[in-house]
Amino acid sequence: MFWRLLWKLLRGSGGRLAVAILALASCAMVVSALLNLEFDIERKLTQEFRTLGANLLISPRNAQITGSSPAEVMSESEVSAAIQSVKDPNVIAVAPFLYVVGSTQNTPVVVAGTDLEELPKLEPAWRIEGQWKLSPAQQTMCLVGRKVAQQLKLAVGSSLNLTYLKQNVQLKVAGIIDGGGAEDSQVFVELPEAQDLASIPGQISFAQLSVSGTTAGISHYAARLASALPAYDVKPIRQITEAEGDLLSRIRLLIVSMIVLISVLTALCVLGTMAALAMERRQDVGLMKALGGSIGRIVTLFMAEVGVLGAAGGFIGAILGVELSRWMGQRVFGQAISSRWEIFPLTIILMVAIALAGALPLRLLGKVKPAIIFREQ
Amino acid sequence: MATLVQVEELRKEFGKVRALADVSFNVEAGEWIAIMGPSGSGKTTLINILGGLDTPTSGQAIVDGVDVARLDESGLTRFRAQKIGFIFQQFHLVPYLTAVENVMLAQYFHSTTDEKEAQLALDRVGLGDRIEHLPGALSGGEQQRVAVARALINHPKLILADEPTGNLDEANEETVIQLFRELHTEGHTILMVTHDPAIGNLADRRIEFAHGRLVKITPSTDASRNAYI
Amino acid sequence: MFGRLVKESFVRNPRRKLLTAAALVVGMAVATSTLTIALEVGDRLAREFRSLGANLLVTPQSDTLPVEIGGVDYRPVDEGAYLSEADLGKLKTIFWRHNVLGFTPFLDVPISIQQSENAAPARTMLIGTWNAREVPVPDGTTFKTGVSITHPWWKIRGRWFRDGANECVIGAALAKMMPGIIPGKVIYVSNETAGNSVQDRSTPKAMPLEVVGIVSTDDAEDKAVLAPLEIAQKLSGHPGMFRQLFVSALTKPADAFSERDPLKMTPTEYDRWFCSPYISSIAFQIKTILPGTEVRTIRRVADTEGNILSRVSTLLWIVTLTALIAAALAVAATSATTVLERRGEVGVMKALGATNTLVAGIFLAEQLLLAIAGASMGFVLGAVLARSLGSSIFGMPASPRLILFPVVLGLAAIVAFTGSLIPLRRAARFSPAPILRGE
Repeated sequence: MFWRLLWKLLRGSGGRLAVAILALASCAMVVSALLNLEFDIERKLTQEFRTLGANLLISPRNAQITGSSPAEVMSESEVSAAIQSVKDPNVIAVAPFLYVVGSTQNTPVVVAGTDLEELPKLEPAWRIEGQWKLSPAQQTMCLVGRKVAQQLKLAVGSSLNLTYLKQNVQLKVAGIIDGGGAEDSQVFVELPEAQDLASIPGQISFAQLSVSGTTAGISHYAARLASALPAYDVKPIRQITEAEGDLLSRIRLLIVSMIVLISVLTALCVLGTMAALAMERRQDVGLMKALGGSIGRIVTLFMAEVGVLGAAGGFIGAILGVELSRWMGQRVFGQAISSRWEIFPLTIILMVAIALAGALPLRLLGKVKPAIIFREQ
Repeated sequence: MATLVQVEELRKEFGKVRALADVSFNVEAGEWIAIMGPSGSGKTTLINILGGLDTPTSGQAIVDGVDVARLDESGLTRFRAQKIGFIFQQFHLVPYLTAVENVMLAQYFHSTTDEKEAQLALDRVGLGDRIEHLPGALSGGEQQRVAVARALINHPKLILADEPTGNLDEANEETVIQLFRELHTEGHTILMVTHDPAIGNLADRRIEFAHGRLVKITPSTDASRNAYI
Repeated sequence: MFGRLVKESFVRNPRRKLLTAAALVVGMAVATSTLTIALEVGDRLAREFRSLGANLLVTPQSDTLPVEIGGVDYRPVDEGAYLSEADLGKLKTIFWRHNVLGFTPFLDVPISIQQSENAAPARTMLIGTWNAREVPVPDGTTFKTGVSITHPWWKIRGRWFRDGANECVIGAALAKMMPGIIPGKVIYVSNETAGNSVQDRSTPKAMPLEVVGIVSTDDAEDKAVLAPLEIAQKLSGHPGMFRQLFVSALTKPADAFSERDPLKMTPTEYDRWFCSPYISSIAFQIKTILPGTEVRTIRRVADTEGNILSRVSTLLWIVTLTALIAAALAVAATSATTVLERRGEVGVMKALGATNTLVAGIFLAEQLLLAIAGASMGFVLGAVLARSLGSSIFGMPASPRLILFPVVLGLAAIVAFTGSLIPLRRAARFSPAPILRGE
């Protein structure tokens, strides 16, 4: 009989229950979408911060002061071996650098030997003009800064002849960099070319990495890398990581506050709707009491009804919430937000809890005499 | 004949309003009592108390050996389930349950449900072909008859009816009153609130109230009883 | 009479109205606080992003090629062009002067350091700049600026040099390489590119500078000596000059419009662009006021700031929209429920001969009163919420935007109305009798 009653209850008041499920589902949808957002926002934002460029530096420990020749160097193979050994999915780009102050057309120019394929990944903010695509055969490609191109009247496709002491290398301009900083006055070549030019094979000035993640995560990775490279310095680049950490925590706080605000509101509105529903049931409760039903049994029945509503609303809402968060992700980040499966059961439980809380007034009816309930008619 | 109901100095106050004052009377088993009087005289309050739907301010109300005034909440619940069958003026059927389910509801709160028995009960009141109907599909008289079936299903010691025909038209009223006459013949004890003197005359005794006080008890005569056709 | 009816209806049975009123207060509080935050956050966050440092770089337009590694220019002082320090006050006269938060000039000189007058010299760079300079502005005021604004991540142990004094700070890496140099010591610096040019004779052979602190920049400057701009000017023989200027400006995220060529815009478009604090517009204004310069956007900083700001802004507006819809639904639902509950009153009124319009009118008037009361309280509550959120997140309380009050009020009224309309339409079809009978 209990299940029959429950079923009839749920089927019964058509319109009002539809409103209740609607309210529960909307609340569930909003809450689950926002929860999805909250879980993913950090990942998305830290990715955005990578536009700042390299945030980790590996450099020689005992630097010497000198003029233009690259006196402080590290072993390229040691560094890349260490980086290989400490694999981490958060590492977005790794690039070695070797600086040589060479000359071309009788003008001194800073030559940076690096991995030209990794360079744009390391510094995504740099605009690189020129439809250039690197292929292994074309070792003699180079990228030049805007000011270099301007001064030396170079364009994409021009030839460039670099000299250092007695060494000489012929290169072709594959692209022009506009970054707004020192890079605008530099020439970027493949590392082996720079090493040849300076006659120091296998050496680099330093290495830079772009690592995604929180300040703590980046420090942790840096520590691991440092223990694999005891001879060198491995440090987060403070300008970037400090500012990023601070900004990130402020933004997260902002979003979390908004989410809590809205969740509380929607929960309150559901509470209100449930309370109204409970009030509707007063008559039924009064009658059942008059018929000799114990308040425990009666309340269990109505709580079960409310619980089922909560679960149904929660389920529907959670599904809709996934869609909503997907749309939100698309609008804001241009990519979908990855949803966590845990949000599903969490939302349903939350909705059941809220629904039951809202129906609490029913319990109070336990004290009320049936006669009074009937009198209110 | 055993005394089923014993009311002694019953008093009920709602704040400053005195709904019942020092009411005392007895009811024998098998009697049909009509409780009459102008509106506001305390009739409904009385049977609410006797039916365990309300508690008195002071006094005694002993039904089948149990003093209702002394019972706690769970005691009242059991009392209502086991000893009383209540019939309301507004029927109070659950709108989303069928006729048979409405009767089974009373069984459910008493002990266990038995659909066969419930069907028989509805048969008894002449609604054997309407058991799957929702109250909305039944006429007023039919709804009240379902209420009667519901009131009887647990074999109550006392049937309380509050203006059972108040919301019915003449034809339906006749049918329902006929049902009560049958119940009376079968030996049920009935306390019925009514304002209709014709119905009052059908009862064994008329107890009249005014301003919360019992003013007159009149036994009916056979002549007056037969006057109601 | 209508007013009286409304008043009577409103005052009776307050319990039922409590639910709608509560929903209104909470709903409007959330609407107010989310709207306030969404409006304010752009400005606040943009200010926070200035912790990333300068986003514009000003250099001479016609110049030789800088020999720069990590921001330090190793060119000999005789080569390349210079800019005039005296012009810099004009930066605070451009249209967007209040968005120019700071600027710092730099002049890099190759030097030799000696720990004592006759010790062996070591070669390094001296970077002349401002620590905290009061720049005279043409309108008569002064503007305080320096590396603390354009390079906020530079950390000093000890203290910075005083402007114009014979003091310096040394980079952390340099301090490690030359452990004898500690704050308090005096070092002797001389121009490395000592040649036979006329300017040489006027520069002192070795200038004593007191080391007052150690600066840590995590970049090329760590291997250099930093000193007041005047010292670098003296050493290089270019008084009143500098090589490059870093500017930190408060900007609005760039979009397709802001990246267009201003010369190709129509007059209206040009005005709109000029009067918006886009980085391109501010750069243009700086270039105009400082002739002979080239002003470039430091992409790393500007792009990151722009991306994140616009994303966070979009996100907040979407979240606000969700909040508004949720609030609207809440209020509508509770309005609907309470009107449904009051079927009895509707029945009575109709039995007494009230027309549907009149009944609707009374209910709607009540809802309006509730909306005004609820929205007012909700507005105050929301303003308080926004204020405390602003304080805890940005350290500055968000001031309540009074313009939001009519907006929130309107929203509350519309929503309360709409919520009641549906059940009222159903109530219109009620016949009084069943209701009065209690069905």
